[in-house]
Amino acid sequence: MARPSADRAAELDGPAVRRLTRQSAAQRAVTTLGARIGDAWSTLVSVAIGLGLFGGWLNSVRDAVAGRSPGSGTALPSRVTAVAAGVVALAALTTLLDRLGPVSASPAAAAWWLPLPADRARLLRSELGRVAGTTAVTTALLCAPVAAVWSRPPSFSMVATTVLGGTAAPSGLVGAVALLQTRGHRGVLAPVTGAVAVGAGALAAGLAVAPWAGDALTAVSRHGFPEFGWLTAAIMVVAAAAVLIAADRGLGRLRAGTLRAAGTASAFAAASVFSLDTRDLGRALASAPRTPRTGRRLTLVRRPWQAVTAADLLLLSRSPWQCGQLVLATSVPVLAARTDGLDRLPAATAVGLLVGWLAAAVAVGHPARFAHAAPAIDRLLPLSSGQVVAARSVAPALVLTAVCGLSGLLVGVGSPSLLAWAALAVACVPAWTAAALRGAYRPELDWSGAVLASPMGVLPAGIGATLVQGIDVGVAGTLPLVVVVLTGAEPSPALVGVQFAWASCLAVAALTHLARRRAT
Amino acid sequence: MDDRPAAAELLLSTSELVVGHEGVQACAPVTIELPPAAALALIGPNGVGKSTVLHTLVGLLPPLAGEVEFDGEPVDERRSPFRRDVAQVLDDDAFFPSLTAREHLLLTARGHGVVDAETAVDDELAAFGIEDRAGALPTKLSSGQRRRLALAAAFVRPARLMVLDEPERRLDADMRQALAERLATARDDGLAVLFASHDAAFVQTVADQALLLGDEECRLLPPGDAPDALSGMHG
Repeated sequence: MARPSADRAAELDGPAVRRLTRQSAAQRAVTTLGARIGDAWSTLVSVAIGLGLFGGWLNSVRDAVAGRSPGSGTALPSRVTAVAAGVVALAALTTLLDRLGPVSASPAAAAWWLPLPADRARLLRSELGRVAGTTAVTTALLCAPVAAVWSRPPSFSMVATTVLGGTAAPSGLVGAVALLQTRGHRGVLAPVTGAVAVGAGALAAGLAVAPWAGDALTAVSRHGFPEFGWLTAAIMVVAAAAVLIAADRGLGRLRAGTLRAAGTASAFAAASVFSLDTRDLGRALASAPRTPRTGRRLTLVRRPWQAVTAADLLLLSRSPWQCGQLVLATSVPVLAARTDGLDRLPAATAVGLLVGWLAAAVAVGHPARFAHAAPAIDRLLPLSSGQVVAARSVAPALVLTAVCGLSGLLVGVGSPSLLAWAALAVACVPAWTAAALRGAYRPELDWSGAVLASPMGVLPAGIGATLVQGIDVGVAGTLPLVVVVLTGAEPSPALVGVQFAWASCLAVAALTHLARRRAT
Repeated sequence: MDDRPAAAELLLSTSELVVGHEGVQACAPVTIELPPAAALALIGPNGVGKSTVLHTLVGLLPPLAGEVEFDGEPVDERRSPFRRDVAQVLDDDAFFPSLTAREHLLLTARGHGVVDAETAVDDELAAFGIEDRAGALPTKLSSGQRRRLALAAAFVRPARLMVLDEPERRLDADMRQALAERLATARDDGLAVLFASHDAAFVQTVADQALLLGDEECRLLPPGDAPDALSGMHG
């Protein structure tokens, strides 16, 4: 058979390649124009309702804060906490972008588009635009209600400039990360931004409990923070546009191998989002454990259960992301309890404690999630299912004792019963240890069984009961402490005893159930 | 007399190329000199690094040391002329879920500016025995049919070098034979072929040289020795 001949002038350019693919797929699309308009309308209505609810909730928090007298101790100015939260959010976004590309090619695009002679920059331009646009719109939608509530009375100028800045900052961030990607520096930002996020959280928490910091920071926050006006927003927009243009000009330098790797990570992450499996999402976004310079000889390990515990502790110590998460998890309750305004709301402290400890439980469940993904690991040693669960709970319990104890101690700074707060927090450890294991070993969602229709599409029956596994034991096991926080009572030895007994009972029940389920 | 082709005649060349992933070397350094109208088979046991060598030669992986030249220029798959000249079927089993088999081939043919793309696509569908599956989506194709589709994409466009990773994989005996004969004919017509394979008969039909990859050394085998080396490898 004769080889085909080609006319270079007839080659498709990048946009034409995308258009041909889109048109071919559209020929057999089952969705009508009316259905698409309906989908778009229902999405708009859902977003509007969501934003309204979010704004209303923020407003009620603000009213609740305004309606209460200031706390007795010194507190961290809310602007400092907001800045720290902003830094953590931007660092998280940067890390996500760095992990997923931000410019990538799906496995199909890598196989069928990238080998074509079409100019690569033009082929990838809409991908960069899609990532920047999605990030900008999402951030703008989140910024709008925050700005509306922040400015009292609501000011159009404040909302508009915040939304403009909130759109420009992430767009510029996408451009900056893409620019680095085009220079061959994909993956170098994530460790830096991760360290920045952890540093910002820890610094803010440290300032929140430093006795000398409160007054100084209050003075700085009154005079030292520049107002965010139209000029700042305009500068941000221009800077973001400049960075995006620079990134666009470098798209032709991206190698197929890099695009393919980023596309595979993105596809895995997207699949885990759509399958509602947060464990898979964590695996898609996580980095590999750090390679140690020298191996440990594990001379203290004498029995099989000690091998499990030692392996878990080693894995945690070599997982920088989980270590960083533990630092942030310790900081969250402190910031919730000691930020000016929030310190007047006991509910904020309770939520801060639950959110922080949940984050810590997720971090210490890392080795168990590994074992869940590779069941052979748990079968390597001569241990029954119950013994494996017991052995795997040692490392989480040790680490959570440190996290809960420290955060409880810092939350209690200024209280006459400082150590009692720490003891009360440590008494919650059994529940969060069980939560870590229950969450890590929770069963997969069964998409082959009965399904439910929901506004988000079809979902498997029992999804709620499956997804809350882990959180349920942690939250329920912390109820005595939550009651103490909400009622403003001072913790006593009796309360500590009640908390420990309650958390231990729940933990034993949950871990026994887990061991039985894994044995069958 | 030295019968090695002069540098100017070489299409693909590399000397003492070190390949691997994340700094870990996959096999001994590789030296390749491939002129037009020649076929070189990479052979060796599983995991020795055949696919890594192929990915590095076409610029999908950076070499740990050394440089690859195509047509006298360093290989850079970001350059359109390189992609225009090199057709490759590596380990991808990825397809657009909403495009039929025929549309995948049309995308490739039109992307390369093939004259009378429709006819070229129909010819390749027939040559690979999937003309009756032309309108099927990838999810409706068997594993072997998807492999045929991927191979057809390499033939539906012009190329000076074809790089294939185990082209015989997932093909039945008749299709293996047909593909081998077609590659041999294309080679005789001027196409350079570089492929990895475990199939002794395929290697014997297509290749006029074989490079045996190993951890200690990579050595060029005389044309007739490749089948024996492969037989020894697979018991």
